[in-house]
Amino acid sequence: MKRVGVFVCHCGTNIAKTVDVEQVAKVAGDLPNVVFSTDYTYMCSEPGQDLLKKATAEHNLDRCVVACCTPRLHEPTFRKAFESAGGNPYLLEIANIREQCAWVHNDREKATAKAHDLVRGAVAKVRRNFPLSTSTIPITSKALVIGAGIAGMQAAIDIADAGYKVVLLDREPTIGGKMVQLDKTFPTLDCSA
Amino acid sequence: MVAAAQHPNIEILTYSEVEAVDGFVGNFQVTIRKKARLLDESKCTGCGLCEEKCPGRATSEFEEGLAKRKSIYKPFPQAVPNLPVLDKNSCRLFTKGKCGVCKKICPTGAIDYEQQDEIITENFGAIVMATGYDLFEWQEVYGEYGYGKYPDVITGLQFERMNNAAGFTGGKIIRPSDGKEPKTVVFIKCVGSRDEAKGKAYCSRTCCMYTAKHAHQVIEKIPDSQAIVFYMDIRTPGKAYEEFAQRSIEEGAVYVRGRVSRVYQHGDKLIVKGEDTLLGKPVEVEADLVVLATAMVPSRDAKAIAKVVGIGTDQDGFFQEAHPKLRPVETHTAGVYIAGACQGPKDIPDTVAQASAAAVKVCSLFSKTEMATDPMVADVNLAICSGCGMCVPVCPYKAIELVPKAERVNGKQIERLVAQVNSGLCQGCGACNAACRAGAINVKGYTDDQILAEVDAICL
Repeated sequence: MKRVGVFVCHCGTNIAKTVDVEQVAKVAGDLPNVVFSTDYTYMCSEPGQDLLKKATAEHNLDRCVVACCTPRLHEPTFRKAFESAGGNPYLLEIANIREQCAWVHNDREKATAKAHDLVRGAVAKVRRNFPLSTSTIPITSKALVIGAGIAGMQAAIDIADAGYKVVLLDREPTIGGKMVQLDKTFPTLDCSA
Repeated sequence: MVAAAQHPNIEILTYSEVEAVDGFVGNFQVTIRKKARLLDESKCTGCGLCEEKCPGRATSEFEEGLAKRKSIYKPFPQAVPNLPVLDKNSCRLFTKGKCGVCKKICPTGAIDYEQQDEIITENFGAIVMATGYDLFEWQEVYGEYGYGKYPDVITGLQFERMNNAAGFTGGKIIRPSDGKEPKTVVFIKCVGSRDEAKGKAYCSRTCCMYTAKHAHQVIEKIPDSQAIVFYMDIRTPGKAYEEFAQRSIEEGAVYVRGRVSRVYQHGDKLIVKGEDTLLGKPVEVEADLVVLATAMVPSRDAKAIAKVVGIGTDQDGFFQEAHPKLRPVETHTAGVYIAGACQGPKDIPDTVAQASAAAVKVCSLFSKTEMATDPMVADVNLAICSGCGMCVPVCPYKAIELVPKAERVNGKQIERLVAQVNSGLCQGCGACNAACRAGAINVKGYTDDQILAEVDAICL
């Protein structure tokens, strides 16, 4: 039996001003497999993440939907929080009700209806998600720096100082780039070579 | 430069170009073309005898076209590595079929006219792009400054060369036309920068400061000289920058706020016509030398190398960072970082800071022996893959190939082709997913079934 938790974020007034977040949370509670739903001022804050972790443990959640801002911002945050509570991070979905809803609409009633739709969609998707796990690939600890002007030389020296091998490449017959063509450099008027 | 040359962990590959980059973060296979210098590097001692005796002449790239160099040459005395290069285009042997002086004179027999380019393939875990900038080609569009036909209208970089103690004039500021010392030097800022009609919309960020330096150098080096700077704004946002610019003004540099409308030759003088917008009056100056602060543009071939390495460029051709504020030295391609003016115009302090930032990104990647991969990648259902190969060309990361699969059908052993995804290369973009006619490829975490369930829940 799948057990989904829904968390609706106010984002201060960013979302709550335009979307009736309490209602979105309430209606989400009746969706199939949803066993817990709530709303909170800032889901990304520490208390917000704790709320998700605690609810996961208390209600034995195996899937989560967070209705909040763009996944570009806090999907990693919530995946980590869910994982630390024992969930699989890929069984968490974001319903973007800020950029794709609250920020682009004025009509509170219609925006709230859209938020319902987005949350319903995310719940339907998360019910079909399956756990994923990361694999690992080996790393060759050698860097290639393309261009041996001041930027390339500095990057190469810093990487090399850390103990890694570097190939510093330039298409010209010498390193130095534009930097070595310059006379004294501002604002200290020291030599550039 | 010396620090990079001496470092035991740094291998320097000059006169070399990147031809191809395969693989992915942590595991790039890079093909490098080491161009032929036409000399055996192991034999050459860098003594310079060949350069001394070479009868061939060409325009010096290093001196920005203001001086000549030999056909076999070192760009400048402190060049690293300390090796000459033979330029076939100006060499008498290659152009006229007769010479060979360098080969005869070389005490170690290092000259090799038959030498071919060498192709090297090597593995790297990370790539730092630091391809720098070039100057905007003002001669193409600035007709009012003479389209480059007046020898005494030069760029800031040319001014640097004659001002440099190690340069072709030994640090003496001269007029390229007659070698005389100029008394009145006019500087024109924003040539190609902040000029959308003729050049670029952006500010090149360094010109206000180097022009202040140039004005200071004119006043310091040439007695009874005059430095006149035409400017739109004086932009000096950096530590000790405003003080530096003010110092030039206090020393006597005359700043005129306004654009120059025309520069033309009159006798051996250059007449500079413009407007002082603060006084609302036209200005006319008789100048001996005019120095243009030309815009910084991406290095030539920047777009081509971006394509080879697999990173994006912005509307001006500079390399695109992953995020303008939060990921300024990363690109959208994992394991490829950017530093310096290849990302956008910047001065030396900012370049050095960005280079160190890119180095830290590389070091943090290298601090582990292996890295976790995103599991949201393409996955092939081999049971329904027809092996049509439609997915192979649409993959922008070259992550899919067709491989034979052996199986038993009706008791017979057969072999058929199926798509195979390299999960290290796959970035989970979904292009193959859309192209697959059999519906055999799905991106994990975004399967057709999952997306349709979401759509149905919203629409039905």
